[in-house]
Amino acid sequence: MPYKIQEIEVTETLPTVSLSPDETGIALIVRHKDKPIGFIMQALPAKMVLDREEIGQLIAKEISNQLIQEYLQTDLNFDVNQTSFPSVTIAICTKDRPENLARCLQSLQELVKQYSQLEILVIDNAPSDDRTQKLVDSLPWVRYVREPKPGLDFARNQALQSATGEILAFLDDDVVVDRRWFKGLMTAWQENPDAAAFTGLVLPYELETEAQILFEQRGGFRRGFQKIRYGQILLGNPLHPCGAGIFGAGCNMAFRREILLKIGGFDEALDTGAPLPGGGDLDIFYRVIRAGYTLVYEPEYLVFHQHRREYEKLSRQYWSWGLGFMAFVMKAYQTDPAQRSNLRHLILWWIYDQLKQLRDSWRGRHVLPPKMILAEIWGGVMGFFGEYSRSLKRIETIRRQFS
Amino acid sequence: MSNFAPWKVLHIDLSAGVPELHPEPKYQGIYAVFWWRGIPLGDREIFTAELPIPATALRNLALQAITPAVGDRLLENGFKAPLPVVDPDPAWDQPPDFQALLALQKPLEQLEKTYAQPVRNSISVVICTRNRPEQLERCLRSLLNLSHPPQQIIVVDNAPSNDTTRQIVAQIPQVEYVLEPKPGLSLARNTGIRHSTGEIIAFTDDDVEVHPDWCLRLQQAFVNPQVLAVTGLMLPAELETEAQFMFHQGSGESRWEYRATNFGIEFFENMKHRGVPVWRIGAGANMAFHRQAFEVVGYFDERLGAGASGCSEDSEMWYRILAEGWLCRYEPTAVVFHYHRRDFEAFQDQAYQYMRGHVTALLVQFANYKHWGNLRRLCITLPKYYLRSILRILKNGFQPRSSSVFTEIIGCLSGIKFYLNHRNQPAWSTSLAQKRYANEGIQKSKVKIPN
Repeated sequence: MPYKIQEIEVTETLPTVSLSPDETGIALIVRHKDKPIGFIMQALPAKMVLDREEIGQLIAKEISNQLIQEYLQTDLNFDVNQTSFPSVTIAICTKDRPENLARCLQSLQELVKQYSQLEILVIDNAPSDDRTQKLVDSLPWVRYVREPKPGLDFARNQALQSATGEILAFLDDDVVVDRRWFKGLMTAWQENPDAAAFTGLVLPYELETEAQILFEQRGGFRRGFQKIRYGQILLGNPLHPCGAGIFGAGCNMAFRREILLKIGGFDEALDTGAPLPGGGDLDIFYRVIRAGYTLVYEPEYLVFHQHRREYEKLSRQYWSWGLGFMAFVMKAYQTDPAQRSNLRHLILWWIYDQLKQLRDSWRGRHVLPPKMILAEIWGGVMGFFGEYSRSLKRIETIRRQFS
Repeated sequence: MSNFAPWKVLHIDLSAGVPELHPEPKYQGIYAVFWWRGIPLGDREIFTAELPIPATALRNLALQAITPAVGDRLLENGFKAPLPVVDPDPAWDQPPDFQALLALQKPLEQLEKTYAQPVRNSISVVICTRNRPEQLERCLRSLLNLSHPPQQIIVVDNAPSNDTTRQIVAQIPQVEYVLEPKPGLSLARNTGIRHSTGEIIAFTDDDVEVHPDWCLRLQQAFVNPQVLAVTGLMLPAELETEAQFMFHQGSGESRWEYRATNFGIEFFENMKHRGVPVWRIGAGANMAFHRQAFEVVGYFDERLGAGASGCSEDSEMWYRILAEGWLCRYEPTAVVFHYHRRDFEAFQDQAYQYMRGHVTALLVQFANYKHWGNLRRLCITLPKYYLRSILRILKNGFQPRSSSVFTEIIGCLSGIKFYLNHRNQPAWSTSLAQKRYANEGIQKSKVKIPN
C-alpha cells in the first residue's frame, strides 16, 4: 500500500531505489543544492528496482525546466536586497493534538537555534485538557497562549493580537517544516519587499494509506515549483482574484502583521470546525488581494503535511473543501459587490467543473471515486444555501458565552 | 474610436541587470522582451495593474520566460518548439538527457559561446521600397549600424513616383541603388537577387529597423548545408495604436517563438493533405535565402506579392523549397523591429491583401505540385472558418474587429479571380532564369534529404 518517499539530491550520485514487497509506488522529492525543485509521484509494481539511469530519466523528464531555472538564477545572481531579516513570529494553532504539535515544534527546533530572534507561539484553542500546556511548558523557547473561544480563526486572531513579529507565519499542528522553510520565506520576502502575504508549497509527510495516496494523486495541496506573484490581475484568469483556492493553503501561510491588522484579521465565522470547517484561508487571501496588496507563492517555503489517514475522513475533507469554498464565495458575494459578476461566473464554473469530474469519475477516468466528488459537491450545496449566515449566528453565541 | 491604451515596448538585457518597473502613465502595460547580450530569449506582457514590480520579482518572471529558449539552445533534446502541425509526432520532443542537463552549468555563458562562431559565407541585403523615403532612411541607418557589415546593401526602388529615394540612397556610399520601373514586390526582389553578389541574400522591408547582429545571425543559421531559407524574429518597434496591437497579436495562434525551428520534410508531409501552413515559417520582412535556392526552385513568383496578388510571395517560395526536400529554418536570434501600420484602415487593407495573396498562392502551389491539400484549404477549411466567424458575430454582436472578417472574405474571392486572370502568365521572366550568377563558386547541388 504505501508509497516510498525518497529524497534525491541531483548534485550527488543518484541512488538506486528499490521498493519493498508492500510498496506500490514512489514519491521523489528532488533537490538541487538542497533547494527543493521537484516532486515526482509514480505508481510502480511491488519489488521494483529503479536504477540510477531510470531515476535520472524521470528527473530529466519532469523537472528539467526547474533545474535550468536554478542554473540561470545562479548565472544572474545580481544583488538581492540584503537588508536584515524582519522579526518573525511563528504561530501554531492547535486543539487537543499534543503529539502532532510536538512533532511540528521539533521540526522548528533547529531553526530557533540558528535564528534567535524568532518567536514561537502556540495558541491552545479551547483545550479539553492541559496536555498541550504541559508540552509547551517543557520547551522554554515556545510561548503559550490560550484562546478559550472554540474555532480556528478565533485562535488565529488571538495569535495576531499576541504576536510581536513584523511577519506572522501560521502553521497547522499536522505539518512539519522543511529545513529550507524559513529560508524560503525570507527569500520570498526579500524578492518581494512590497508583498503582504506569502504562501508556500505543501508536500505529503507520509503516503502510508490509500486515503493519503489518493489525496496526493489528486494534487493534494501542491501548487507547483514556480514562484508566483499574485497581484490585482492574473494573466489568463479573468475571474481573478475570486478563484482564491490557487493561492495556497492555510496550513502554511504568512502575513505582514500590520496589514493583517489593518484589514481586520481572520473571519471567525469561517474555519469554525464542524459544521463549517474551512474557507478561512481562501477568505483572507482574497481580502489581502482585494485590499490592493500582493500575495507571493514561494515553493522553497515548504512544509510536509500529514494527510488524513482514514478513507472516511478523506471524503469529509473534500466535503469541507466544497463547503468552505462555497461559504467563502457567498460571503464575498454579500460583502464585495464589485466582484459579484465574477463570483457568479465562478459558481457556474465550479458546478461545471465538478460535474465534469463526476462524469470522468463514473467512467473510471478520475483518481477519485464518485463518492468523494459527490461529497465535495454536497459541501458546496450546503455552503451555497446559507451555511455562512448560520455560522455568523453561531459565533455570535460563542462570543456572548465568553464575554 | 475606442479607449485603447497603448503598450510600451521595453527591451531588457539581463546581463545589464533588471530594473524595477513602475506604472507608465497612458500605457496599459509593458511588453517586456528579455535578452542576454543581443540574444532574445523570451517576453512577457506585464499589465499596469501588476506594477510596480520590484527588480527581483521581475527577474523571477524573466527566468520563467527565458527557460524554454535556453533549454532549446543548449540541449539536444527537450524544450523543442512544437511544429505547427495537426498531428505531431510524439517523438518530436524527447526529454533531455539527464547527464546533459547536469552539465548545463552557467547556461548563459555557454549560450554566448554557441553564438560566437565565425561565419565564412558572404551576405547581400536587399530592401525593396516604394515611395516611403523617411521609413527607408530609418531602416538604412539601422543597417549601417550592423556589427558585421554585409558585403552589399541594395535598395531596389520599385516604380517610384519621384526621385526622393534615389537622392537619399545617393548620400550613403555603402548602399547601392537599383531602379525597377515595373511595379511589384516579387519583381523588385528578383531584380535585387540579380544585382546581388553574396552567397546569402537577406531581405527586409523599409518599415523595419534591424538588430545590430541581424546579418551575423542569419549567416550563422545557414551552417547546415540543407538549409536554403532562414527567417527570423519580428518584434514590434512600437505598440502605440490599436491597429498595431492587433497586428502584433495576429490570429493568436502564431505567437513569435524564441526557440529555433527547422521546417522540413516532416512538417511538409504531415500537413500536405490540408495545405502546408508555410506562412508560419516567418515573415518577408525578415528572411534570407542561400543563392542555391534560386537554382533549385527558381525565383519569386511575380504574380504574387504586393503590387500583384497582395502577398504570400515569401511563403510560396518556402513552399517550393520544402516540396523539393530542403530545409527552412526559423532562427529567432535574427531580429528586426517592425513598425506596424498605425491606422485601422491600413490594417483592414492589409487583411484584404493578405487573404487575396494567400488564396492566389494556394492556387499557384496547387498548379505547381498538384498537392490537393491546397484546394482542400481553399474549398473547405477557409469557408468553414469564415462561416464560424460570421456565426460568432451574429451571436456576440458586431465589434470593430468584426468588419475585418468581411474584408478578408472579399479578399479571398478576389484572390480566386486574380489567379484565374493571371494563371497563364509565367512565374518570372525567362531572361532572369538564364542570367549567370554573379557568384560562380557555388555548385548546383542535386542532393535531396533522405526521407
